[in-house]
Amino acid sequence: MMALDLRQNKHSDVSFEEKERLFDEVKADERWHHVLNGCFECGICVASCPSARFYDFSPRVITQAVSREDTDLIYTLMSDSIWDCSQCFSCDRCPRENSPGQIITIMREVAVKNGLQTAKKALEGYGRIIYKIMSTGSQVSPDMLQPDAFPDWGTHVYEIAENLEEWRKAIPPETLHTTETGWKIDKKTIIELYLIWHMTGVMDLIEGVDEGLFMILVDVMEERLEEAGYDDVTFD
Amino acid sequence: MANENILIIGGGPTGLEAAKGIAELGYKVILAEKRDKMGGTPVSAGYAALTPDMRDAGEAMQEMCDAVENNPDVKIMLNTEITGTTGEPGNFKIKAKSNGDEVDIEAGAVIIATGFSHFDPGRETQKYGYYEHDDVITIVDAEKLLKSGTFVRPSTGEKPKRVAFIQCVGSRDRKIGNEYCSKVCCGITSKQATEVRELLPGCKVFIFYIDMRMYGYWENEIYWPAQEKHKVNYIKGMATEIIKKGDGLIVKGEDTTMRRPMEIPMDMVILAVGMEPSEGTKQVADIFGVKKNKFGFIETTGGALNTVSTNVDGVFAAGACTGPSDLEDCISAAGSAAVKAISTIRKVTITA
Amino acid sequence: MIHLPITKASDRHFKIDPNDAPVKDLREELFQLEKEGELEVIRVPDNHVELMTKYGRMKKIPIDKTWHHKSCGQCGHIPGYSTSIFWLNRQFGLDYYDPTDQTSCTAWNYYASATSNPEAQAAVAVRNFAAAHEVGYFPLIHCGTSFGHYKEVRHALIHQHDLRRKVKKIMERLGKKLVIPEEIVHYSEWVLAMKDRIAERQVVDMSNIVATVHPACHYHKLIEEDAIYDSEIYGAQRTAIVTGTLQALGIEVGDYSTWFDCCGFGFRHILVSRDFSRSFSIQRKIEIMKEEVNPDVTVTHDTGCVTTLDQSQFAGRAHNRNVGIPVMADSQVAALAMGAHPYKVLQLHWHNADNKPFLRKLGFDVEKVWSEFQDEVDKIKSGKKKFMTWEDADK
Repeated sequence: MMALDLRQNKHSDVSFEEKERLFDEVKADERWHHVLNGCFECGICVASCPSARFYDFSPRVITQAVSREDTDLIYTLMSDSIWDCSQCFSCDRCPRENSPGQIITIMREVAVKNGLQTAKKALEGYGRIIYKIMSTGSQVSPDMLQPDAFPDWGTHVYEIAENLEEWRKAIPPETLHTTETGWKIDKKTIIELYLIWHMTGVMDLIEGVDEGLFMILVDVMEERLEEAGYDDVTFD
Repeated sequence: MANENILIIGGGPTGLEAAKGIAELGYKVILAEKRDKMGGTPVSAGYAALTPDMRDAGEAMQEMCDAVENNPDVKIMLNTEITGTTGEPGNFKIKAKSNGDEVDIEAGAVIIATGFSHFDPGRETQKYGYYEHDDVITIVDAEKLLKSGTFVRPSTGEKPKRVAFIQCVGSRDRKIGNEYCSKVCCGITSKQATEVRELLPGCKVFIFYIDMRMYGYWENEIYWPAQEKHKVNYIKGMATEIIKKGDGLIVKGEDTTMRRPMEIPMDMVILAVGMEPSEGTKQVADIFGVKKNKFGFIETTGGALNTVSTNVDGVFAAGACTGPSDLEDCISAAGSAAVKAISTIRKVTITA
Repeated sequence: MIHLPITKASDRHFKIDPNDAPVKDLREELFQLEKEGELEVIRVPDNHVELMTKYGRMKKIPIDKTWHHKSCGQCGHIPGYSTSIFWLNRQFGLDYYDPTDQTSCTAWNYYASATSNPEAQAAVAVRNFAAAHEVGYFPLIHCGTSFGHYKEVRHALIHQHDLRRKVKKIMERLGKKLVIPEEIVHYSEWVLAMKDRIAERQVVDMSNIVATVHPACHYHKLIEEDAIYDSEIYGAQRTAIVTGTLQALGIEVGDYSTWFDCCGFGFRHILVSRDFSRSFSIQRKIEIMKEEVNPDVTVTHDTGCVTTLDQSQFAGRAHNRNVGIPVMADSQVAALAMGAHPYKVLQLHWHNADNKPFLRKLGFDVEKVWSEFQDEVDKIKSGKKKFMTWEDADK
């Protein structure tokens, strides 16, 4: 078990002002007042947390850190700890009605928005999901079931990958006769999704996390938007 | 001329103490009790010993009842519930149902001493399974077991080897709505833990808590002896689940001093359920137009300097009907209410 | 047996009084906002059933006119899951809608990577709700994560007027209204509401089956007041979902000491921190179930949970851990009970942990039913048939 040695100041390469700015951004979120009240360190959140049993992770420590406004500690936690959370919200059992899970969601959003190196690292290998939603409108598709993608799921995946085409046609619902997308989705629907991401700034977030992925997606999306008559929508 | 009777609603420790005091000062008391016997919750719930001095509860309550029964200045009305009221200080006209009959009561002042109810653990935010597991009981159940002298596992009838108490059940919880601390449970739990250790020297006892509320002399009279003399284990960290495993139970919590989740096997778990306003408190408050706070307890209007006056002149409230109270609070408030009730009558009489 | 002055759990009855509910009914604020012109509420269709929720409020569960909000993971990797839900609807001749105008809820991405924001998430949700409303149907959510997420979105839209304003503008650009359903309903609630009708038509005897139930975190830990509870099941101390369905089918539901634990899906972990998901699901769920209950099957009601519990067992086997419990969704078990084909409808060949012993225990000739499915596949391979139809599946 790692001792929390606050004298070390792990991230001394980052200025205190920058750390404060990031925390201010977290506090400015519209949800902040709903997710953090006070904490009397009962430990119910840790007791119910799956990640606390596997990682050196504690929702109580995170809640205490933000309650105490301990800027250095908050930055340290934002750099690693927050990605250990399984977002299960068992910690919503908090008797003070804090939600450590949602505190972490907000901290993650700020980390991603600011392109923190640690956020990029935490999301390495995750790009294919983002690509999938962006290009097909669903997060998972049958053709993602490849043995090299899920080696620890065993030999069964080989069987599926081999028979994918036929097996997908041997499913009764008409909407599931697909391999590249989860279900059959209208072109118009995907356009609406693109417009939502354009209007809400989500593409900027993706650019900050994975520039290569961003470039590929922009090409696909801009082409489809133009086809659909939206030539005024660009992603720069 | 004011009516010289003072109506006390509720025959528990608070009501009994107030009645005794008022009678001693030469005024008349009508003591209306909903149940068929006096003594309030300590008697109806079968308390074994009082906190903090460990005096036998049955014996103590009998002493309180004796002082009032057979007292010519106290008229006791059992099986009596208040149904309505009119009038003003010095001249209240109260309607009640007594043993099925409609009766009228006239009084110059009223003291509400209708007490509290124990929190129903089914409404607890955490997963304690009171309605699922025989061996999960409350401190009220534990008190009955201790009184009977047989402290055993309800599931098997055998003596437990490991017993855990869990504090703050139904209190200090924003989700449930009972944001307050119920004041007495830490003391009661420590007392019960001590009793268990004395009854069953081979049994390990644990208390899982957020904070230990040991006011004043409770610290040295209850807490230190529990740890030092009786080796009760106090663990700073709350439990979130109690779940069955094999023949026993598992308590899942965080040992915050160790900074990690823990799962500990137990034979019995005792929930320290908190206080809530009783049905009687809520009903009587409404009948008299007395303001309740957001938790449903009667609101006293004087802050720290007046623990018994309500928004209705001539109507006072004392004891657990105003909020979490220990026995010492109840006895003291009863005295204060008695004084103020008498002074209400005297004021009206003098000005008349 | 000594006589104790206290009651045993079986004699303790928990009474839920809706007036004691610690949370306000969201519907009040929802309808108030509708009155003020802020949004439009999609009403639950007339043909509905009421089930009790955690604090005693009755929740309306639509029976037909349902718009099936599909799950990415189900449709992608566990197609028998979605298929079984549709199959059940078809067996009862119910009017349901399987849309192509539906996007992912994008919540998996949100909880895994946070490469999104509340406006985007809310706009995606409302877009889907509007699509349902436009065709006159009521959204029924297939995935536990979507369900949990949409409950959060609804809560945010009701309480944060800035967010509501932003989302309304986005909807206007898309030519859609800001609509929110009267209730957010999960398909497993529909199955629970239908349990007696399903049991009436049960043709496969399941009285020799012992099952464990895994309730999805996002179903009952998030916005808890919306989960279904029942005084007869767990004394209303735990959610009745899935358990109620299985018990109606005559299955014995075994309890185990990690019932409340998460499955370990983790959203991000299942892809990039896989050791966590594998270890957690095996050590905290599967092995405990094996040790304490040794069930014939474990049943859950969420995509991520089925995926994690099912797929993690391979690694467990490779390390000689005590694993080997088939994993299924409640809708699949219900369909099976009503005579659905294990491969043509339940599509059990997509599942990983061996489910053949379970099928054999129920009296299925596994080789025979597998060859029936293979016949259909052969027809597709040879070009005789383009797809396997619903009629083919029920032959």
